[in-house]
Amino acid sequence: MPEPLKRKRKDGVLYERPPEIEDWLRRLETVDVAERLRQFTLLSRKSPGYVPSEALVYYLRRAWTEGMQGDFEKIFRVLMKRIEQSLCSAISDSRMAGARGIREEIMDRFAERIAKDCGGRIGLLDFYEIRFDKAFVAFRTSALRQIGPSVVDMVPLGADRDDGLEISAEVEAAAAGFLGGDPEKLDDPAFRLELTAAIGRLPDDQKQVIGLLLQGFQIDSKDKAVMTIARILQCDERTVRNRRDRACKTLRVILQEENAQ
Amino acid sequence: MIAEHPSSRSEEEVLLAFSVEPTHDRKTLEKYLTDYPEHGQALITCSIELMVDATRNVEIVATSEKAVDRAWQRFQSAVGQPEEASVINPFATLNPTAFKSLAKKLNINNLLLIRLRDRAIDAATIPRRFVQRLSTELGATTDAVMDYLRNPPAMVSGHSFRSAVKPAVTEQISFEKAVETSQLTHDQQEALKALKD
Repeated sequence: MPEPLKRKRKDGVLYERPPEIEDWLRRLETVDVAERLRQFTLLSRKSPGYVPSEALVYYLRRAWTEGMQGDFEKIFRVLMKRIEQSLCSAISDSRMAGARGIREEIMDRFAERIAKDCGGRIGLLDFYEIRFDKAFVAFRTSALRQIGPSVVDMVPLGADRDDGLEISAEVEAAAAGFLGGDPEKLDDPAFRLELTAAIGRLPDDQKQVIGLLLQGFQIDSKDKAVMTIARILQCDERTVRNRRDRACKTLRVILQEENAQ
Repeated sequence: MIAEHPSSRSEEEVLLAFSVEPTHDRKTLEKYLTDYPEHGQALITCSIELMVDATRNVEIVATSEKAVDRAWQRFQSAVGQPEEASVINPFATLNPTAFKSLAKKLNINNLLLIRLRDRAIDAATIPRRFVQRLSTELGATTDAVMDYLRNPPAMVSGHSFRSAVKPAVTEQISFEKAVETSQLTHDQQEALKALKD
């Protein structure tokens, strides 16, 4: 029976691993240590027998508690290798200046978190035993806010960051053309997927607007109780519309480029 | 809408809690933006990164062992240092009189303040307004006090270790439980419960 997590939710209830992770842990318990370590080394998610990273974190912590230093180092290295692969995709050399240094710094910071967990900081790594990939996105986001470049490299059109309330007819037309005059296009799963993948290349202010639109927030509302994009970002609703229109113009170029490849 | 109210949870902790939620729809983000307005920008960025990340295909790229070696070295140097070394105890400079006076200013008793000092209380359950008041009285920043409170509970000193049982740190209790079991007056308990986030 795997040891329960120690971290508590805000309401005081203990976090729990998802059932599929508990199943993995129970299954791995029946495998001998050497075979388990071999399975951990599979890097590709497509490999049969690929062990989810949540389970690696569990066995990493257990190896530390049981004083199995050799096993601990092996699992640590595999986990870091996986993290490096994920970072190479999220922070690629072509998308961010100094990407390699940033990736290394994020890995170092994660190594420090592991050290803190080993030092007894209660439940610091519990989140990574629940949903590793998502928790690591959170960790990466927080780290990038501190050490990342202020502007991620983007396509040239995105360089237009003017929040002035006047918007050119050209941009407006491009935006209208992008959604085909059909806001419901955002509900089309195939279009959403393509769009979501592309918004990572937008400047931050435009990315926020499109990201919030995709999550179902409305730009503005007369009802003061409604959490709108304008209120969340604390700006005028016309500024939000301008950012949306500029983002649409940029996204059209990105998607055209990608479809042409 | 995103006002500044320092909470007792760091940005990283809030984002991690958000990230492991079963769904990341508008409702979940709204709830977190309401609960943690001071981390609003970070939450918005994180919610978008979670969306974008789900569309990424992690393809295996050839890498050297250099970055992993470096991370291992960082781990080894960090794990050798007790965390206490990097976290300042904001109670350390208080003499017994100042300690009692602090309890009085916070309208609590010595027992509850000792439990806070010894980190016998789960930091995540301490109301942010209380941490703010404590920080102000200690002349420290909220972040510094939270860093201290988030550490593991201290070994209780002054107890006799001539016991058959190995001395161990006590398990942390919730702030609510601590308020109920610290022999506070009814009014003190009510005042503290009213601070709940």
